[in-house]
Amino acid sequence: MSRPVYRLERVGYAYGPGPGPFSLEVEALAIGDGEILAVVGPNGAGKTTLLTLLAFLLRPTRGRLEFLGRDPWAAGDGASGARRDAVLLTHHPYLFRGTISDNVAFGLKLRDLPEAERRDRAEAALALVELDGWGGRSVTGLSAGQAQRVAIARALALRPRVLLLDEPTANLDAALGLRMEAVLREAGREWGTTVVFSTHNFSQASRLADDILYLSEGRRVEFSHENCFSGTAATDGRTSWIEPKPGARIVFPGEVRGHVTCVIDPAAIRLTAAGEGAVPPSGPNVFRGRVGRMETTDAATALVRIVGDVVFRAAVPLREIESRGISLSREVLLTFEPGSVEVVGERPAGSKKSS
Amino acid sequence: MIARELALAVWISLKTSGLAALIASAVAVPAALFLSGREFRGKRIVLLVNQTWMAAPTVVIGLLFYSLLSRNGPLGGFGLLYTQAAMTFGQVFLILPLVVGFSYTALRQVDRRARLTALTLGASPRQAGWIVLREARFPLAVAVLAGFARAISEVGIAMMLGGNIRGATRNITTSIALETAKGEFRNGIILGALLLVITLGINILVQSGLRGRDGGA
Repeated sequence: MSRPVYRLERVGYAYGPGPGPFSLEVEALAIGDGEILAVVGPNGAGKTTLLTLLAFLLRPTRGRLEFLGRDPWAAGDGASGARRDAVLLTHHPYLFRGTISDNVAFGLKLRDLPEAERRDRAEAALALVELDGWGGRSVTGLSAGQAQRVAIARALALRPRVLLLDEPTANLDAALGLRMEAVLREAGREWGTTVVFSTHNFSQASRLADDILYLSEGRRVEFSHENCFSGTAATDGRTSWIEPKPGARIVFPGEVRGHVTCVIDPAAIRLTAAGEGAVPPSGPNVFRGRVGRMETTDAATALVRIVGDVVFRAAVPLREIESRGISLSREVLLTFEPGSVEVVGERPAGSKKSS
Repeated sequence: MIARELALAVWISLKTSGLAALIASAVAVPAALFLSGREFRGKRIVLLVNQTWMAAPTVVIGLLFYSLLSRNGPLGGFGLLYTQAAMTFGQVFLILPLVVGFSYTALRQVDRRARLTALTLGASPRQAGWIVLREARFPLAVAVLAGFARAISEVGIAMMLGGNIRGATRNITTSIALETAKGEFRNGIILGALLLVITLGINILVQSGLRGRDGGA
């Protein structure tokens, strides 16, 4: 790893008064200069708390958080100096009253940059988020996606040493989300910016990050993401596959070689109850297992965990649960189309991922 | 009542109450910023005392300051009784809790993210405080204007501490009281209407000034 920008040792943060319980506890973490780190975890995992600590908007309740080799809270300025190098973009960004340009140039003004440079940088940042020519408009009435783009531009205009982003593409459509990912990669390359971002989207994390930190209930955990499998791909020229377990073959279209990670959307998985009279599905990507857990996610869908040779998670409409006789501990067959397998991190086996 | 006398009463009202609003705001807004941004033991008591103080009758405040400023009072040596300065200080005391209360509510309503956003974009804590004030400028202006309106429309303090001396401490409200006592109700009503017009004009000026600075947003 390159020289660490951040080094965390036994860092804990508790929201309530007193010594704990800690909402976040990180035993050890080092984030290298220019690195792109994804923080992945479910809601309440501590992702936002970690980013807020890294932005020096919260002070750790215990442990040591070093930034560029120093404890920023020991400087006596309430970590103001360190905050100038690490900009946090929140999930629901706040825009100040006034125009879009006022907002984008906000941090530049605080840094006393000359007006001409402020204007140039603001325009360039707005172009990066495809809001060229929007500078004079009022922020009133912007959609959530537009506000998110303005906030991204506001952060990029500063060309910060560290960019911390809490679910940066959550309010953007898929195409713009991909464009923003490219912008973040470019920021890393162009300005050497270290990027730490949180996401629920594992495929985004795999696409963008050099490293992924998994959090669950405020603790760093080893990754065991269902529906996400890594392995060395084999191919027959028309289709390719990996075998996360011997005999358990995940097939996807195209000719792919090397180490890959496959992600299967839970909604793309179809379930049928196994047993007498049931016609087993045919074709690739058929797996057998037992229903280990069922939980409703909304009024119409349940998340079903199927435990077999390989563990899958399927999002199943509630009406299908009933009509197909799926219940806890029931043996089921699951299938998904090869085309629904998202292949990420495709690269020659053994090579380091490029940013 | 001759025009010159009337103009002088208006001027004295504007001067004493405007000054009272400025002094009270200079104390009340930072106090409200402090109260809105921090949690501490006894904060609820501070807010309760402030709310209770808001309900204090003007004559009670007038009486309190009268006893302080009268010749035998502890501050009698300054010779402030029956001066415009005494009226101003009495009015500051009257409107201070009002401006604190309104400003506190205004600042509590500013999105918490405003301060955090300012900090993460590189603002110092002091700059972030200013930014929060800027974000709340409309309701803060309302708080200051409410204080001014309360000061310019009160009569108890002006009467007790100013003494209603013609050309020196007679303002609009004490003039109204005098005209009413003389049975000149018409003059009293005209002065009352004038008071409302002045308050309205100041409100319009301040609000349009803020809107202009906001770029129409």
